[in-house]
Amino acid sequence: MSVLLDGKEGMEYMAMGNEAIARGALEAGVKVASGYPGTPSSEIIERLADVAKEADIYVEWSVNEKVAAEVAAAASFAELRSLASMKQVGVNVASDFLLHLAISGTRGGMVLVTCEDPAAHSSTNEGDSRGYAKMMEFPLLEPGDFQEAKDMTKWAFELSEEIRNLVMLRSVTRMSHASGNVTFGRLPKVEAQAHYHFSGSMLDPDKGPVMSYGFKHAQQQQKLKKAAEIFEDSPFNTYQGPEKPELLIITCSVGNLYCKEAINLLGLEDRVGLLKLGTTWPLPPRLLKKHLSMTGEILIVEEILPFMEENVKVLAAEMAQEIGIKKFYGKHSGQIPSIGELSPDIVIQALVDLLDVGYETVPKEYAEKAGAAAFARAPNRQLTFCPGCPHRASFWSIHNALELDGRQGFVCGDIGCYGMAVLPTGFSTTKTGHAMGSGAGVASGFAKLRQFGMDQPVMAVCGDSTFFHAIVPALVNAVHHKSSFTLVVLDNSGTAMTGFQSHPGLTVNAMKDESPALDIAEICRSMGAKVEVRDPFDLKETQEALNDLMEYQEGAKVLVLKQPCALSPEKKAEKKYNMRVDQEICLGEDCGCNKLCTRIFRCPGLIWDMEKKAARIDEVICAGCGVCADICPSGAIVREEA
Amino acid sequence: MLHACDLEEGRCYAYCPRTPTDLEQLRQALYDPKDLTPELGPFKGLYVTRAADESTRSSAQHGGTVTALVKLALEEGLLDTAVLTEESERFLPQGVSVSDPLGVVRASKSKFVTSPNVAAFNEAAKGGFEKIGVVATPCQALALAKMRLKPEPAKDNHIDKLSLVVGLFCGWALSWRDLARLLKGKADEDSIVGMDIPPSKYECMEVYTTNGTITIPLEEVLPSVKEGCQYCFDMTAEFSDLSVGSARVPEGWDAAKGWNQVIVRSRAGQELLDLARSKGVLEFRDLPEGNLEKLKTASMNKKKFCVAALVKKSGSSENLLYLDPQDPVLSRFIN
Ligand SMILES: Cc1cc2nc3c(=O)[nH]c(=O)nc-3n(C[C@H](O)[C@H](O)[C@H](O)COP(=O)(O)OP(=O)(O)OC[C@H]3O[C@@H](n4cnc5c(N)ncnc54)[C@H](O)[C@@H]3O)c2cc1C
Ligand code: SF4
Ligand code: SF4
Repeated sequence: MSVLLDGKEGMEYMAMGNEAIARGALEAGVKVASGYPGTPSSEIIERLADVAKEADIYVEWSVNEKVAAEVAAAASFAELRSLASMKQVGVNVASDFLLHLAISGTRGGMVLVTCEDPAAHSSTNEGDSRGYAKMMEFPLLEPGDFQEAKDMTKWAFELSEEIRNLVMLRSVTRMSHASGNVTFGRLPKVEAQAHYHFSGSMLDPDKGPVMSYGFKHAQQQQKLKKAAEIFEDSPFNTYQGPEKPELLIITCSVGNLYCKEAINLLGLEDRVGLLKLGTTWPLPPRLLKKHLSMTGEILIVEEILPFMEENVKVLAAEMAQEIGIKKFYGKHSGQIPSIGELSPDIVIQALVDLLDVGYETVPKEYAEKAGAAAFARAPNRQLTFCPGCPHRASFWSIHNALELDGRQGFVCGDIGCYGMAVLPTGFSTTKTGHAMGSGAGVASGFAKLRQFGMDQPVMAVCGDSTFFHAIVPALVNAVHHKSSFTLVVLDNSGTAMTGFQSHPGLTVNAMKDESPALDIAEICRSMGAKVEVRDPFDLKETQEALNDLMEYQEGAKVLVLKQPCALSPEKKAEKKYNMRVDQEICLGEDCGCNKLCTRIFRCPGLIWDMEKKAARIDEVICAGCGVCADICPSGAIVREEA
Repeated sequence: MLHACDLEEGRCYAYCPRTPTDLEQLRQALYDPKDLTPELGPFKGLYVTRAADESTRSSAQHGGTVTALVKLALEEGLLDTAVLTEESERFLPQGVSVSDPLGVVRASKSKFVTSPNVAAFNEAAKGGFEKIGVVATPCQALALAKMRLKPEPAKDNHIDKLSLVVGLFCGWALSWRDLARLLKGKADEDSIVGMDIPPSKYECMEVYTTNGTITIPLEEVLPSVKEGCQYCFDMTAEFSDLSVGSARVPEGWDAAKGWNQVIVRSRAGQELLDLARSKGVLEFRDLPEGNLEKLKTASMNKKKFCVAALVKKSGSSENLLYLDPQDPVLSRFIN
């Protein structure tokens, strides 16, 4: 039993932001939740899936974010409450549908949760998706602490039902993945009855067909106006500070926590006012007017883009006659960076500059010492694939096949652990990297450039989850247009990077129910691609298959490399082989090898023995995959059945 | 290179036929200085021969001299294996080590694509063979000669196991992929039984198929020649024990196809040829008049083109990149 379902009303619980969001959804009586995994969002669906059976809700890992939004929308159309969850880049995938949904409107409360990754800790970019709320004209909420993460989620469903439209709730890494005290509310008993009504007129939000039509635009804007009206009195917009502050800070999301800490540390409670907005689009004009009138100087603190900053400035310009000309500080003036995460230090520095108070954020000497201490005992190692990772083996073969081919071939990549193949750990093999599935699309384009003299062979890589998510249309395109490239599907049996969530290639779904698994190789064959399947740990076979496909086969070709992730639950902690290096045979720095294993192959399980001038296995780190035995030119690495 | 190497001068560098090479040092160290000629390198004699055995001849490139000599050397125990060249799919050649005298004929016929035979020699040596023969193009023979001077510490140098080098005359070799492209649409891969480059006046390449001979104009073929061949000074495989090429006979090319010219360069080469004569393995005919002169001119022409190409590439007549501008033979071509 999970505390999320077990926790009684009034119970105080130290919840991770994503758990708070999940509990909020349960308190709202959510019935359907769907999503596509992506850090920092994944735990929302995972936690809901954990309690799905008991709470009688339906939860799925959808094939991609667009489908996740569509699945959740269907529940809303049938008058259930539903939630779709994804990370910021996923919102782009869902956006096509969201644009239509925003105009068609919803029925049962529907909340789109986007968990974003300022500083791109676990992403290829830190795109700020709040702009979608403005562009597509639906309301945006941003919780400012953990309690709000829960309460605001619950309220978002009510708001959605009130305005009959989608509500977007945005979290960030330090909200989703940090933890704080949350007091639970009541879990309702909801008897769900789903039915889809469509007999009314097109404009009837309750009984008509739910469709996106241009003529509903006015209706849609009315909904947004209504939301702004509701936001005027929202308890999620709070002010603390003097009546006439020298400086007013307007902030949202985790900026709220940093600002509170900064004001407190600098002892500025009497000089600085803090307006924390939870409803960041549309902005409630009267509330803003009241607070902007308090002072002449305003600092806007938010992460990444100046979304709120620019919207506040528009309101301030409209109200200028009444409230006077204001001086704004923030991203445009340079006090607040528009890339990366914020921190209390950044806010402190801005306040020190603006208010002329003395404060040294972190003494320089201390920062240097702390920095040195942090790295003193860490092994000197670049970003690398895990020991035993199938990707290292796969890219070894891909790299060698391309070099042997000798026509300056290259790989188009996308997003996943294998994105690291641009680095030495993947032998610097990938040469383009964009959205999920883009490797195949871009490769399909490159391969059509033969008529302009391009004769470099082109490959694309994707993961198994990515295959279902976004590769299929690109591959169809390639087959149909006779685009000649090789797609390598790095099938490690799970959405490994985000924590082994299920996908359509596996036999269980998010709720641990048995599900039919779709066979990637068969799908590709049925499209008309030439398909081979290999075990990437068999380096010779893999490389030969690649060279063969590149050299002799025309059209779209697919090599499925099947080997579970080294960290997969089925493999974890189990060594297939016990490995050792025969240091007598090892060529080490001599010609004929020159430390191939530790200089180029670089599995962290292999280390250089300075004294013996030979390689050695680090038994603690080695995962026992046995692959390195096949890269050693002298046969010094010995593999014994464990 | 599969992976970057940070050794400044390892074995690849030391043995590559296109890294700096002191040809004169090699000639002096490996051959009897009395035999050295500017045009043909070490030279003990020129012969016109063919395999006495008809079936050897019919499956060989020309007169089958190479096949017959290698087979003999294996039979007599002069060699315990020979590194030859077989063809795998789509004209891709590969070095193979053949120990059974009856297997030699399977590797007959010229493959006009360079083959990794020095690697095959190293594999054979690591595989425990002690007396290894290699049939080599001039560049491969040069690499083996460089290995014989052992510039590197002895570890992993198996060159002492090299017992015989049969060199092939060579004008140039083709890029494997380009050859496939060249033949595409002209001849079905499965129908091709051989290829040859007739004497220069024919200006073509001949492709023999089960449906007859196809001729491809030389100007169509030349763009597919490996770039490295432009910088090669050696037509007659000067760093071998004996070198074999096609013959020139007064009856014309059709008759010449059935014969070989053999240059003997070393004592080992002479002994093998003498053995072949005494055992009746090879037939000999008189050297047609003027053949030696023609061969010398052809060989010197290749050196001349090589020097011109190197000067063009380096931009200076003082700089022959991998060769020594003071070399007693090559310096003649520097003006
Ligand atoms: C790339 C190339 C270019 C040549 N150019 C000329 C030329 O310009 N003028 C000329 O007179 N002769 C040239 N020859 C040599 C000629 O084609 C015959 O090989 C030679 O006359 C011997 O004939 P044979 O009947 O004795 O050969 P065979 O008895 O058929 O024996 C040929 C031998 O050569 C070996 N071999 C085949 N291909 C290769 C290769 N790519 N690399 C190394 N060994 C190989 C085979 O394994 C076999 O042992 C060339 C040969 C090659 C491979
Ligand atoms: S690859 Fe083999 S020979 Fe080379 S350093 Fe590693 S163990 Fe030694
Ligand atoms: S067997 Fe070799 S490649 Fe595999 S984990 Fe161990 S050290 Fe790394």
